[in-house]
Amino acid sequence: MAGHNMAAPGFSQSYDPFAELSRHDDDADALDFEDTYDGLGDQLDETDDAFNDDTFGGEAISSSNAPVGRDFDFFGSTAKVANAMEEEYVRFNRQPPAPRAAATAASTSTNYGLPGYNQASYPPRPARTGYEKYKDPEPTADLQVDASIWGTAPKKAATPAAANPSQYAPPPAGRKMMSLEEVEAAMHAAKPAVMPQPQVQAQHPPHFASPQPQVQFQSQPPPQFGRQDSVDYRYQQPEGQSQVFQSHDVRHTAQAQGGPHGHPITILQRPSSKPVPAGPSMSSSLPQQQQHLQQPSMSGPTQILQNPSRMSGDAARMGYPAQPTHPMHQMHRSQNSFSRQPQAVSHPAQLPAMSDQDKATYLEAEARRAKRNHKIYILSKDNGLMTPHDKSFITRIQLQQLVSATGDPNEYGTDAALAEDFYYQVHSSLAAQRPNPSQPLNNFAQTYLFQTGNRHGGMRRHNRGPENHMQRMEQQVQRAVEAAKNKPKNKQLVIEGSLGKISFSNAKTPKPLLNIKRTESGTEVNRPASTHHRTPAATGVTDRKVTLRAIESVYMILMKMEDHERTMPPLANGDTDQESVERQSEWQLVAEKLNNQLWDALKVHEPIGANAVHPFIAFISYPKGKKVIPRVFRQLSHEQRTTILTLIVVHLDQLDVVQGAQVQSGEPINLSAAMRESIEAFSMAVMPCLFNLLNDTELHIVTAVLGIIIQKLSIDTIARTRIGISMLTMILSRAEIIKEAGLANEQAWQQWVVQFNDFFNHLEPTLPNIFPGSVTSGEDVYVWQFLAAIGIGASPDEQQRLVLAVKDRVMDTVALSKTLPADMAKQRLDNVNLFMRSIGLDVELLQ
Amino acid sequence: MSEGEEGPASEPLDLVRLCLNEEVYVKLRGDRELKGRLHAYDSHMNLVLSDVEETIYVVDDEENDEGDEKIRVEDDQEIKSVTKKSEMLFVRGDSVVLVSPIEKS
Amino acid sequence: MENGTASQGEGRDPSGFLAEIIGNPVTVKLNSGVVYKGELQSVDGYMNIALEKTEEYVDGVKRRTYGDAFVRGNNVMYISADS
Repeated sequence: MAGHNMAAPGFSQSYDPFAELSRHDDDADALDFEDTYDGLGDQLDETDDAFNDDTFGGEAISSSNAPVGRDFDFFGSTAKVANAMEEEYVRFNRQPPAPRAAATAASTSTNYGLPGYNQASYPPRPARTGYEKYKDPEPTADLQVDASIWGTAPKKAATPAAANPSQYAPPPAGRKMMSLEEVEAAMHAAKPAVMPQPQVQAQHPPHFASPQPQVQFQSQPPPQFGRQDSVDYRYQQPEGQSQVFQSHDVRHTAQAQGGPHGHPITILQRPSSKPVPAGPSMSSSLPQQQQHLQQPSMSGPTQILQNPSRMSGDAARMGYPAQPTHPMHQMHRSQNSFSRQPQAVSHPAQLPAMSDQDKATYLEAEARRAKRNHKIYILSKDNGLMTPHDKSFITRIQLQQLVSATGDPNEYGTDAALAEDFYYQVHSSLAAQRPNPSQPLNNFAQTYLFQTGNRHGGMRRHNRGPENHMQRMEQQVQRAVEAAKNKPKNKQLVIEGSLGKISFSNAKTPKPLLNIKRTESGTEVNRPASTHHRTPAATGVTDRKVTLRAIESVYMILMKMEDHERTMPPLANGDTDQESVERQSEWQLVAEKLNNQLWDALKVHEPIGANAVHPFIAFISYPKGKKVIPRVFRQLSHEQRTTILTLIVVHLDQLDVVQGAQVQSGEPINLSAAMRESIEAFSMAVMPCLFNLLNDTELHIVTAVLGIIIQKLSIDTIARTRIGISMLTMILSRAEIIKEAGLANEQAWQQWVVQFNDFFNHLEPTLPNIFPGSVTSGEDVYVWQFLAAIGIGASPDEQQRLVLAVKDRVMDTVALSKTLPADMAKQRLDNVNLFMRSIGLDVELLQ
Repeated sequence: MSEGEEGPASEPLDLVRLCLNEEVYVKLRGDRELKGRLHAYDSHMNLVLSDVEETIYVVDDEENDEGDEKIRVEDDQEIKSVTKKSEMLFVRGDSVVLVSPIEKS
Repeated sequence: MENGTASQGEGRDPSGFLAEIIGNPVTVKLNSGVVYKGELQSVDGYMNIALEKTEEYVDGVKRRTYGDAFVRGNNVMYISADS
């Protein structure tokens, strides 16, 4: 906020009281800066002044219309009328440049501490000329850009007051303090009227001059501010002073006069500017300030004097009218004090009545209040303050600073960095202008803003061409990004190496800290060693992991195979297209390779008996090992599948679903949930595969399978498990089907019968115990199915033995069924009948 | 067996892969443990577990929501633990400290 | 174990060191202070670690054992090779 001084060229022009003085003294002549300048400028904080014009577009305004004087045309407002500005600019160029140019030049010079130029020589311009355009087209709302942004808050407060004509009118009479609400209400009511009336603007100035009165308004002002340009405040300050001097009544008029200078609104109002005449009269009584008021248009030369205004501006920032402290102000002190005192009182009329001390306290209190109010106002009112244009401009400046600060490493030492530096641009612009003060280009900010490079190209060191600033901004962003990209890279290069890599990462995206070589040697060199040293006790763990790895690799290979299937080239049908045949064979090769991998991963060919548990049996002991079998089977040849079948049968008693899954007849079924799950998985995944395979199997193989079971396995163990029984059922059924289908030759059948009889003999002792749980458990369906399969193939003798063996269970079930609901009873009896009918009986015979 | 050492388990994440569809023990930050079946994981150790039992160890003197019915408090030296069960859990990886397969005895 | 011959100290850089001690007994300390002792199965670039036959020590007291253990790298303070 502090950055903005009244001294900003745009503002200072018409209203600086000192400027007025200078004019008076030497109307036609340029003022000698040294004569008029009291050195205040040296005390000013101009740190941020350089931005003023660019930011506010003050130059643009001033350049377009010489008398711009007070209106602090914040760039935002100008941006809205960008077209108009440009037009103006053109117009400006056409018009007799003298007054404006001088004024602008002066302003610029002042800003940059180049007071040397006296613009006094230029005839003061009518304030209206340039801005008339704006009046009509621009709604007040557009002008809302707030001076408050620039720390001129107190002034703003004043402006709002001004906004309400009605309110203003009262002030002289003796305004009373209004609450914010009241003010707002009044403002709302007044709003419509406000715009057109220049007087309103005039009112603002007084506020500025005297913080206290303003304070009153400040609370109210916010809304008004919006309407009236904040810009006004600058003008207002001077005006305020003048007004102060004048009777309060006069203020309005004076302000109105001031209006033309600073406020856009005023400018707009100018056409109707009635107050103007009054202003002069008022001003006459006043010293320099008055002059300003009277001759706002004359401001050109006075700009040099703007320093005082700056002071006031600074003061304004502080929340007080700084004038007392300033030498300049001191010069006017009498006036100032005068003004202040009256200001202190809420109503001008009250002021005289107050003692100095009271006034001071009052002022202070008011100032504080104003500050607070202003803060609130700022907080709420800044929204929408800047136009996109403004923002882009500011952003551009920031970016430039960023880029020049960050620096593209590659650009060091080149002028490229300079080319984008705002200050450098301003500097060159100034430097270029110096030699030729009459150049209208005093407003470097404008040129900078709108520079198309062509107009003032000569003056610029870097001729940019007609690109607009948006484009340039984009370029700058790009540069900044690039610079940012480059930097870390460089750092990384430095850091990398000693500790491997120091990575810049965060929790979300961790980066590898180490470059671990995963060469085979890396693990294998040491691995085998430790592996070999493993104690036998460790093998359990090892086997487990080996199996799990095998499962994972099987899944991996399967995915590859299934993927490969999709790429199978169309079969070459008959026509022996060489190419397609080749493709086919290539594909076939890959398929075979994958098949081999799969076969290896399944470890089916591991020697039987080499391990406590065969790897493949271990494989299918895992649920995921079971689940993968159907997919595996699809990829395997019949031969391979048969091998697996054989392998499973050979290890039937070692299957996890058999080993440890025995159930005792008559005892509660005591299987863990995991085992039940496992059995279920085996039934659902593995058994169907084996069943389908077996259904394609010749009798002699079936016979052989049964032979294996008889010879190598404990039938008792197998037969007391659901999976074991199911497997046996499957085998027996297949043989029966083959026989009934007439596919078996007599010899093979005889072999089968021999085998079957052998089997029956082995099984017979176990038969009474193959029923799971008690008769009430109802989980014995698969046993009845098994018995049925046996019964069909059994000889009459065997059938009899069979009945004897399971007679108890049959009778128990029949008895139980009588105690059960009909449907359940029927189900139980149907189960039993599976067996009974296989041997030509029926449960009904038993009832 | 002898050749079993090479292959997929050459990096730590492979160990987790082997646990897929298996019961795992997961140690989390904040004295929490999970036991459940591993359904999915990723390189962040985000995990999907089913049939999870979560155990939270709490220092004795801290008042805990023991009142919760679902929470079982058991005295274990000075440390209490509370357990919760979940059908399915997604565990965000950044809280994971350790993952270990639960070996069936 | 007897395989300590793998000269751990000669690694040119951390990853070299880690590659060399794979398969050997190591001590892994976490930021939380918990210590794991076991055979190093593997390490990756994130310092994720797979251990075998692992013992967990909390405040020097053995708390658990794991057949296999995956330790998430962000928790790892250091890995040291046991002699």
